[in-house]
Amino acid sequence: MNENLFTSFTSPTMMGLPIVTLIILFPSMLFPSPGRLINNRLTSIQQWLIQLTSKQMMLIHNHKGQTWTLMLMSLIMFIGSTNLLGLLPHSFTPTTQLSMNLGMAIPLWAGTVAMGLRTKTKASLAHFLPQGTPFPLIPMLVIIESISLLIQPMALAVRLTANITAGHLLIHLIGGATLALINISAITALITFIILTLLTVLEFAVALIQAYVFTLLVSLYLHDNT
Amino acid sequence: MLSRLFFSAAAAAAPCLKNAALLGPGVLQATRIFHTGQPSLAPVPPLPEHGGKVRLGLIPEEFFQFLYPKTGATGRYVLDIGLVLYFLSKEIYVITAETFSAISTIGLLIYVVKKYGASIGEFADKLNEQKIAQLEEVKQASIKQIQDAIDMEKSQQALVHKRHYLFDVQRNNIAMALELTYWEWLHRGYKEVKNRLDYHISVQNMMRRKEQEHMINWVEKHVVQSISA
Repeated sequence: MNENLFTSFTSPTMMGLPIVTLIILFPSMLFPSPGRLINNRLTSIQQWLIQLTSKQMMLIHNHKGQTWTLMLMSLIMFIGSTNLLGLLPHSFTPTTQLSMNLGMAIPLWAGTVAMGLRTKTKASLAHFLPQGTPFPLIPMLVIIESISLLIQPMALAVRLTANITAGHLLIHLIGGATLALINISAITALITFIILTLLTVLEFAVALIQAYVFTLLVSLYLHDNT
Repeated sequence: MLSRLFFSAAAAAAPCLKNAALLGPGVLQATRIFHTGQPSLAPVPPLPEHGGKVRLGLIPEEFFQFLYPKTGATGRYVLDIGLVLYFLSKEIYVITAETFSAISTIGLLIYVVKKYGASIGEFADKLNEQKIAQLEEVKQASIKQIQDAIDMEKSQQALVHKRHYLFDVQRNNIAMALELTYWEWLHRGYKEVKNRLDYHISVQNMMRRKEQEHMINWVEKHVVQSISA
């Protein structure tokens, strides 16, 4: 089954064919489109959730920023559903792959920066220098601010990858510890199992929070640049 | 249209087909069937009210009934438990670290569903009901508005029918006023004439009285004169 700890993070193949595309496309099947006025319960709840989230997240933007609503909403739905589905046993989470997270983070970040430089050049360049800095510090501060700007996409991608991967690894390790402790001392195994349960609750929360954080940060970058 | 072109081209190529070309498009159109078959999409058969019954949340009831005649009530359970134990004992399914994470995750999910499932379902139903209630309210308000307009129109029509009473009363009023004025004029004329005639009568009376007094005075004077002479 799993030879070492990291086999669950390899790109999944079935009989030699890569099915990772199918796995990435699968969560979209869980969101049926609301076709009628009165839908079934699943669609109604999803519709209500998306309305709540979009209102809460897009109110801070002006008209130009609100054109990004579709992008950000589909981002949070995708990351949230992929993370949650990855908690099921023997499943593969695409967001554990740095390649995919970089593929999500870099274009979005670059899009916000490019839009800011094109439409409001002076204002977006002004972000490099915080207000009220003493005069001699200015060159160093510009360098520091530009480094922090260039690190933003890396931080986005690596944050998501590391959080989800670390969570999955911890679940594996503690599950393995429970398995090993059962023969030695059942009570310690029970305590470890309780720790595993609490960790699973945490992982459910982390899955949703990471999606939220990713989307929130992209929207913040957008707010700076519109 | 293309069929017409085709047939005219064929008629140009072979003149014996020309008679056929005149009939061709009509035949082609006549063989096309419009709305004669049973439409497959409408009316849609009504969806069942509840989903199929399941036991243990996953296994449909039909599977249990399938084995019932041969094995009785416990047949399905024996098959399932036996299969699971077989997989475990032959290590077809290996107990790894993932087993425990599976137990904790799925246990958590079952717990949450059992505890909060009904309330979330009711919440979804409430959302839909709110939507319908909003639209229903708009519909009812519109109906009420139109009903009020109809009632007002009806009452105004009834008033229009009763309008002649008003006119009769007004007519009577005016007639009475006219008659009153006539009688007043009449009375005034009578009084004027009587005034004039009274004047003349009183003048005559006064003249007669004066003449009588004069005569009396003259008679007295002459009597006194005759007595005293």
